[in-house]
Amino acid sequence: MLRPLCFKSSSSTPTFLSFSKHFQKGSFDSPFFFFRSSRRINNHPSSMAAMSTAPTQNGTVSTQDGTPQIIRQPVQVAKRLEKFKTTIFTQMSMLAIKHGAINLGQGFPNFDGPDFVKEAAIQAIKDGKNQYARGYGVPDFNNALAARFKKDTGLVIDPEKEVTVTSGCTEAIAATMLGLINPGDEVILFAPFYDSYEATLSMAGAKIKCITLRPPDFAVPIDELKSAISKNTRAILINTPHNPTGKMFTREELNTIASLCIENDVLVFMDEVYDKLAFEMDHISMASLPGMYERTVTMNSLGKTFSLTGWKIGWAIAPPHLTWGVRQAHSFLTFATSTPMQWAATVALRAPDSYFEELKRDYMAKKAILVQGLKDVGFKVFPSSGTYFVVVDHTPFGLENDIAFCEYLIKEVGVVAIPTSVFYLNPEEGKNLVRFTFCKDEETLRSAVERMKEKLKKKVI
Amino acid sequence: MEEKLSSVAKTFSPSPIQELSHLAQRCNAINLAEGFPDFPAPPPIKEAAVSAIHNDFNQYRHVQGICDKLALKMKKMHGLNIDPLTDIAICCGQTEAFAAAIFSIIDKGDEVLLFDPCYETYEGCITMAGGIPVYVQLDPPQWTLDPDKLMSSFTCRTKAVVLNSPHNPTGKVFSREELEVIAECCRRWDCVAITDEVYEYITFDDQKHETIASLRGMQERTIITSSLSKTFSITGWRIGWAIAPAAAASAVRNIHVKLTDSAPAPFQEAALTALSSPTKYFETIRIEYQLKRDLCMKLLDSVGFQIQFKPQGSFFLFAELPKDCMLSDVEYVKELIKKAGVVVVPGRGFFHGKSGSDGSCRHEKRYIRVAFCKSDATLNAAAQKFGELMNTRGCPKLYC
Repeated sequence: MLRPLCFKSSSSTPTFLSFSKHFQKGSFDSPFFFFRSSRRINNHPSSMAAMSTAPTQNGTVSTQDGTPQIIRQPVQVAKRLEKFKTTIFTQMSMLAIKHGAINLGQGFPNFDGPDFVKEAAIQAIKDGKNQYARGYGVPDFNNALAARFKKDTGLVIDPEKEVTVTSGCTEAIAATMLGLINPGDEVILFAPFYDSYEATLSMAGAKIKCITLRPPDFAVPIDELKSAISKNTRAILINTPHNPTGKMFTREELNTIASLCIENDVLVFMDEVYDKLAFEMDHISMASLPGMYERTVTMNSLGKTFSLTGWKIGWAIAPPHLTWGVRQAHSFLTFATSTPMQWAATVALRAPDSYFEELKRDYMAKKAILVQGLKDVGFKVFPSSGTYFVVVDHTPFGLENDIAFCEYLIKEVGVVAIPTSVFYLNPEEGKNLVRFTFCKDEETLRSAVERMKEKLKKKVI
Repeated sequence: MEEKLSSVAKTFSPSPIQELSHLAQRCNAINLAEGFPDFPAPPPIKEAAVSAIHNDFNQYRHVQGICDKLALKMKKMHGLNIDPLTDIAICCGQTEAFAAAIFSIIDKGDEVLLFDPCYETYEGCITMAGGIPVYVQLDPPQWTLDPDKLMSSFTCRTKAVVLNSPHNPTGKVFSREELEVIAECCRRWDCVAITDEVYEYITFDDQKHETIASLRGMQERTIITSSLSKTFSITGWRIGWAIAPAAAASAVRNIHVKLTDSAPAPFQEAALTALSSPTKYFETIRIEYQLKRDLCMKLLDSVGFQIQFKPQGSFFLFAELPKDCMLSDVEYVKELIKKAGVVVVPGRGFFHGKSGSDGSCRHEKRYIRVAFCKSDATLNAAAQKFGELMNTRGCPKLYC
C-alpha cells in the first residue's frame, strides 16, 4: 500500500487564540442559537475505586473469538496524564468501606439539600425543561447570578456578557485554565490546593510556581509572593475560603496581592465555592477590590451552599474579554449545563437571607462539635475560619506520615480523614497534616469523636 | 492588558449566521434547525429523575449500574465484551466524553482525521488539546468514503480518526465496507478510532448501526462515545459515556474527574431506568423518526428539492439546493425564513479544510440541513407553510 508522505500540516499554532475563526461563524448546533428559552469535593470514593495508576504498557484483552491478545499500547495516553495521581484516594476509600469507617474525609454532606430547591428541579423536569440549555446558561439563571453577585459584592455585571454557567465549579476552573492559559504561561498557585488545579494547569501546559501556606495560620508569605510574581506571570489562582485549611484570605492579603497583580498585569482566578461558609470573618471577593474586576475570574457553585454537590451547577463571572476565553473552552468541554438544575438554581439563589444565616449556624454548631472533639482527642487543631474543613497535626500519635496516620485511623479507629500531602506539589510539606470535614450530621460527628477518644492513643514522644 | 488577552475578541464580527438567527427570531419562524426535540421526554424517565431527587440522590455519585447496563447493551448490540468495572467512564454528555477522550490521547502536534462535512465541535476540542485536525472529504451526493483520499491523509503524525456514525449533518450510516477501510488504516498506522455514536438508535429502513470497535483488531484501539440525549430526548440532562480498553477508559475517567468531577447525580439514577427501556421503546423511536424523515423529504420535494441522499440515520436531512436555484445556502435560508417562516441550517458551517484542486468544495455553499426531531405538529405546520408557497402554476414561489 502507498506510504503516505510525512508532510507538515499547514494549521497554525494550536493555542486557544487560533480558534477565533471558528467561533466567529457561530454555531447552529450551539443551543440557543436562536436565543430563545425553550433549554467536592476532593474525594470521589466510588469513582476513585475505578481509577488506576498510570496505564500499563502491555495488557491482554479478549478478542471477539475469545483468544487473548496482547495490547501493544495501541491507545497511547497523552503525556499530560503524568500529573494525574489518584491511587492514594483509591486505597483510602476501599479501606474505609472494608472497615466500616465513619467518613469524615469526603467533602460532601451526608444530609440533603433544601426541599424548595429540589421541588424547583422536579417542577422544571415536569414542565419539560429537559433539552439543551443555552451554552453559557439559561437566561433567567444568568440574571439571578448577576443579581446575587451584586448583592454579595456590590458590583453590577451584565448577565449576557459576563456570566458563564458550567458543570460545577470544577468545570469553571478547567474552562478558565484551558480558555485563558497558553502553553508555557506562568501561573502561581498556593499549596495546599484542590487537586484539579494542578491537573488542569498541566493540561493547559502552564508553568506552575507554587507558594506554600504554612501552619499555624496559613498566612500568605508576602516576600515569597513578591519574588515569585513578575511581568512573566500570567495568572494567580486563589481559593478563599480555602480547602483544605479553612483559611480565609484577609483584606490586607488580598490588597497586597491585588497591587502586585496590577503592577505586573496579572490575571486572578478566584475559587470561592465556600463563600457562604465563612464563619470567623466576612468573605471578600477579589473582584470587588479597586482595579481588580477587569482582571479577575470569580468562580463559584451551588453544591456547597445548598448541599446538592451532585447537581454540578457552577459558574464563572468575569469581564467580557475574559469571559470570551472561558466560554470557548466551555463549549468544547461540555457544551451546555444540566437544564432542570439551572432552573432550580435560579430559585435557590433567590433564597431569603434567613436560609444563609441558618446554614452558617448549623455548620458552626457542627464545627464546634468536631473541633472540640479533635482537641480533646489530642490533635493539634489549626484554626479554620471558613469551609467545612479543618486541618490538624497528627504527629502526637506517632505515625510516620499523613498517609500512615490515615490508614491507622481507618483500620484501628474506624474514622476516615484525608492525608493532605496529596494537595502539595511537594508531598513532604503536608506529611504532618490531615484534613477532617464537618459536613455531616451531628450524630455522625459525635460518633466519630467518640471512636477517636476511645481508640486513638497518644504516643509518648 | 487588552492587547495581551483579547485579540480573539477583537477580531469577532457579526456573522451571517448570527444575522439569520436574529431574523428567525423576529419572524417567529418554525424551527427545523436546532438538533434537539420539541416534544417531551419519555414519562418513565422523567419520573425516575423526579424520584431520584426526592430520594436524596443529590450528592456526588458514580452510578456503577449504568456501566453494567451499558456492558450488557454492547454485548447484545455488537457482540463486544466490555468490563463494566474498568472499561467505561460516565461523563457530562457525549461532549465531555469526547473532550476527555481527546485530552487523554492527543499530544501537541498529533494529527486527527475527521470526515467532512463534520459537526463543528470536534475541531475546537482537538485544537484545544494541541492536536491538528485533518479533514477527509466525503464525496457527494452519497457522501461515500474514498479509500484513496483516506489513506493519503495518514501521516506519521496521525494519532486518531474521529468517526461519527450515524452522521451529523448528512444522516449517513457508514457501511461495513467503509468501516473496514477505516479499520484497516487504523491497524496499519497504529491509530485510535474515537467514535461519536449518539444517534446509534436512530437508523432507518434496514440499516443497522455498527460500531467500528466490533471489527477485527479494533476494540483495543477504539474509544466509543455516546449518550442518553438523542435516544431518550433529554439533551439537557448531560449523561454520556466513553467505552474503551481499560487503560484508555481509566485515562478518560481521570481527565473527566478533573474537568467536571461527575455527571449530574439524579440523572445518573434516571439513566438506569432509561437504559432498562424495553426493546419496544427502541423500535418505536426508529419507526417514529422514520415517519418524520419521510415527511421531511416530502416537504422538501414539494418546494423543488431533488433529494439524492436519503438519510439512513440520525434526525438530519442534508439537502442540496435545487439545481435551478441560484442562491447560496445562507441566502436560501434567509428566503425560507422570510417567505415560509421556517428556519433550517446553511450547510457551509459543516465544511472545513481547503478546497481541493478539483473544486471539491464548490458544493459547500449548496446544502441545507433540516432537523426532523420535531413533533408532528411542528412538521405539519412547516408542511402547511410550504404548501402556501406553491403558486398557481404549481411552482414553488421561493426563488422564482
